[in-house]
Amino acid sequence: MPPHDPGHAHAHDHDPLAAGRWPGLSLPVGPGRRSLRVGIGGPVGSGKTELVSCLCRAFAGELSLAVVTNDIFTREDAAILERKGVLPTERIMAVQTGCCPHTAIRDDISENLDTVEQLEARFDPNLVLVESGGDNLTATFSYALVDVQIFVIDVSGGDKVPRKGGPGITRSDLLVVNKTDLAELVGADLGVMARDAEAGRGGRPTSFVSLRADQRAEPVAAWIRGLLADRAATLAAASNGAGTGTGA
Amino acid sequence: MNSDSGGIAALLLLADGRFPAGGHVHSGGAEAALVDGRLDGPRALAAYAVGRLHTTGLVDAALTAAAVLRLAVDCDPRGCGPGRTLRLLDAEADARLTMAPLRESSRRLGRQLIRAATGCWPGPAVEAAAAVHPAGPHQMVALGAVAHAAGIGALDAARLSLHHTLTTPLQAALRLGGLDPYAVAGLAASLAPVVDQVATEAALAGEGPVDELPCLVGPLTEIAAVEHVARRDRLFAT
Repeated sequence: MPPHDPGHAHAHDHDPLAAGRWPGLSLPVGPGRRSLRVGIGGPVGSGKTELVSCLCRAFAGELSLAVVTNDIFTREDAAILERKGVLPTERIMAVQTGCCPHTAIRDDISENLDTVEQLEARFDPNLVLVESGGDNLTATFSYALVDVQIFVIDVSGGDKVPRKGGPGITRSDLLVVNKTDLAELVGADLGVMARDAEAGRGGRPTSFVSLRADQRAEPVAAWIRGLLADRAATLAAASNGAGTGTGA
Repeated sequence: MNSDSGGIAALLLLADGRFPAGGHVHSGGAEAALVDGRLDGPRALAAYAVGRLHTTGLVDAALTAAAVLRLAVDCDPRGCGPGRTLRLLDAEADARLTMAPLRESSRRLGRQLIRAATGCWPGPAVEAAAAVHPAGPHQMVALGAVAHAAGIGALDAARLSLHHTLTTPLQAALRLGGLDPYAVAGLAASLAPVVDQVATEAALAGEGPVDELPCLVGPLTEIAAVEHVARRDRLFAT
């Protein structure tokens, strides 16, 4: 993972267009709000909701967390999370996407942004997870809605999926390949998937997990902890700089 | 509208379904009407659209036109500023939205429009609209303020409002029902004269006293809207 550019948050304040993921730009730390916003996208059934519940479990007692879901049938994912009891109901909000899940996370993020801000105003969380509705390999988040995005695929879709590419595979900040326990059953070669993912992702990380076995999604949780630590360090450096009058 | 003020281009931007103001998650009652069987064919869809234009469409457009007309005076350097008028019209809009879920989604759409417009047409009108209510201004008040800020006149702002009244349920019905997109476009085009007629009526009403602005509702669609928000399997917010 490339080191963070402390200047990025500063540039963000002046030119909203700088908030996109322009080529050559490192991971953003986001503007001066407390929460890290993480988008979770991927095809139907790949394990997005499962990943969210694993992360809720992993961070229970450690972080203040909130979740926005964008399921096709809007309460479905929220209901699953509520049933699992991994997060208090009031910290999970569902938005409607008018049959267009990718529009709601990329082209017109109004509904999601509004909901994220409501949760932030109410709970002041460290981490907000925005789970997209299940879509195809072209669905990605706007960086005006999330700071980083995770794309979840699974091995049962076949080991060719990373090679097929698409913005979710190639440009997500973390690619998660779920259901590694099924690889043998479906004849998927994890080595091929790892090689193709590495070739197509320009050095961005890929995690192989079996969320059924790893109910805390340890590699993903560790990646998010790293981002939170970097973010805290960058924000602290920025506020120290402001305090000494350097304005850095 | 002054043809070189940029108002026409701004009007096209605001009428474009790609303008990021949150409208794409709304169906204007069409999803509820499809679910409970009221929209059962092309004739019903056309009748539904005409009914919306003449009721909630007229009400929304008249409030929008009233905002544009008054802001032209209030925002003049010798005027009193936009705040008072917008609060007054917001209260009139509130009184015309009889159902709580519709009031709530109107404010949500209002604040989403203000968010999108703040970067496009910053200035006192948009700022004043943002400050009207803690949950955001009602959608028609926001649209009036944005139209004024963008250099769009009252009649065209009324047309814009009605364009959304018309296209929102048609687009949703198209997606939900797998309808023929050319037929839906044809229906929208055939209703252009109705849009013009109601827009003229709305702009005229907008010139009158605010407490005499139109207040028409379609009771069945309002009741259905309340039932709709309680449905767990809805795809559209309204």
